[in-house]
Amino acid sequence: MDNSTINVLVVDDETDFRQLMSFWLKSKGYSVTLAQDGETAIQLLKNEKLDVVFLDLNMPAMDGVHTLKKIREFNKDIPVIVISAYVDRLKLTEVKAYDISGVFYKGEEFEKGLALLESALRMHKRLKK
Amino acid sequence: MSSLTIYIITAIVSIITALLLVQLTRLSAQAKIKADEKAIRDAYLTSHGIDEDLNQTIYKEISELTDSEEFCRGISNKVSGILSREIDKRVTQTALELRKKYESIIEEKSQDKEIAWKKYNKVLAEKKETEAVIHSIAEGLVVVDAAGNVVMMNEAAEKLLGVSKIDKIGRPMLEGIKEEQLVSLAKNSPGEDTKEIELVSQENETKKILRASSAVIEDEDGQTVGMVSVLSDITKQRELDRMKSSFVASVSHELRTPLIGIQKSLSLILSKTAGDVSENQEQLLSIADRNLQRLTLLINDLLDLSKLEAGRMEIKREPYSVEKVIAESIEGLATWVKSKSLNLEKEIESGLPEVNIDPNRITQVLTNLIGNAVKFTPQNGTITVKASSGRGDGHVQVTVQDTGIGIEKENLPKIFGKFYQVGERTPTDISGTGIGLSIAKEIVELHGGKIWVESEKGFGTRFIFTLPLR
Repeated sequence: MDNSTINVLVVDDETDFRQLMSFWLKSKGYSVTLAQDGETAIQLLKNEKLDVVFLDLNMPAMDGVHTLKKIREFNKDIPVIVISAYVDRLKLTEVKAYDISGVFYKGEEFEKGLALLESALRMHKRLKK
Repeated sequence: MSSLTIYIITAIVSIITALLLVQLTRLSAQAKIKADEKAIRDAYLTSHGIDEDLNQTIYKEISELTDSEEFCRGISNKVSGILSREIDKRVTQTALELRKKYESIIEEKSQDKEIAWKKYNKVLAEKKETEAVIHSIAEGLVVVDAAGNVVMMNEAAEKLLGVSKIDKIGRPMLEGIKEEQLVSLAKNSPGEDTKEIELVSQENETKKILRASSAVIEDEDGQTVGMVSVLSDITKQRELDRMKSSFVASVSHELRTPLIGIQKSLSLILSKTAGDVSENQEQLLSIADRNLQRLTLLINDLLDLSKLEAGRMEIKREPYSVEKVIAESIEGLATWVKSKSLNLEKEIESGLPEVNIDPNRITQVLTNLIGNAVKFTPQNGTITVKASSGRGDGHVQVTVQDTGIGIEKENLPKIFGKFYQVGERTPTDISGTGIGLSIAKEIVELHGGKIWVESEKGFGTRFIFTLPLR
């Protein structure tokens, strides 16, 4: 399967992690778009063809919960995988109300993130049919 | 001269002689008698008419003996006079004796009074001294009686509780204090001798945290007669504790971010995503990766500890299989176990029901216990993880047993304490933060279970914990 047609949006205020994600996803053949904050992510989602989102939960200004809430106002379908550095139960409970495809903890292996990504895409495809 | 006359004359002479002697003693006695006594005596004699009656009686008696009325009258006068004086003397003497007795009693009493007064002054001085001590101590001191009424309260206590002593003495401790937490102070149960009370100051609405250490006062028969409480303001201490915990938490979070960056970069290089890696490079990068993992575990421990101290450690329960949680924990440690050539065996009772647990947290407990077993078991040793329905008391019992170096008996009670490390020096590859077990204990207890250890130096260690089925 050619992953290059799949465009993954990575939203994280942390430059290093964003780049690592980009490096890793590209190594798996995906196309990657990066956003450093929620506002940029929303603009990108409105204007570009994106297939799946990795969204950091903890960001200054507009956090993951707020960003996802805004995304869901105009895009109910796109699969969103939440990224978090640690288990923040409060925010996780909040964010789960906006339909997420999983949580990828930053400390976990990339493989786990990949599994989440693949299952999210599969689920999305099935729903579309 | 008739024999009767002689007899009478002899009698009179002897009476006169006696009278003279009596007169002599009377004179000396009279000198001592005071005017008031004399007055009493006179009044007594007159009021009772002794002189008259006596004279009549004697006259009557003598008149039977002689016909001469004049003679009879003379004798009876003389005799009654003598008798009167004799009575007079007796009365005086008795009065004197009584007075002496009375004086000695008075003296005795006044001596007693003086002693009592001295004692009273001494007690008063001691009381003042005690009061001065009590009032000058910085800690608040409140003494209540068995009914909970305030008996004594020092200035520090007044200040801490925001009440006035005058309003409180003899009244129930809680009267006029709204804070319901104070109820706990008055109703301190005997088992708990220290408790913390939160109060809101009436003046500036700031919160105050007091620590009350109380002791029950008992009389000789062991009856509770009251309670003494020492109050200290620990608001600042608490604030510092909170700041420390939040500092540790934020630093740990901050530390995680760069660690994740390093870990992810290493893993990408090691997975050869970024191109080929030579054998030497791979070896060195693996060392870097291993040490990074240790650092991460350490930081996670610190973060847990700060949560624990701040009382923010939470568990999120869900029905979960014990077998599964054991398998997952073992899986995470498989590489380490293999690298030390250890046998890891599982003995899981079949048909164990699911338990209501936080799988992440129980995995953490098991990882810690199995990890310790790996650390302290020499090569080719065996680690056994068992799970059973226990003794049918509604608990699942999980055991992690090793054939390692064991723990000395005297160290067993300390093992769940914070920062405790077995032995003084451990090789660096088996050192840790020393908080893993205290965290494990906290997690098990949050689940309503118990954890304990059985060990003998040289014969391995067995950690056992229970989880309630419901």
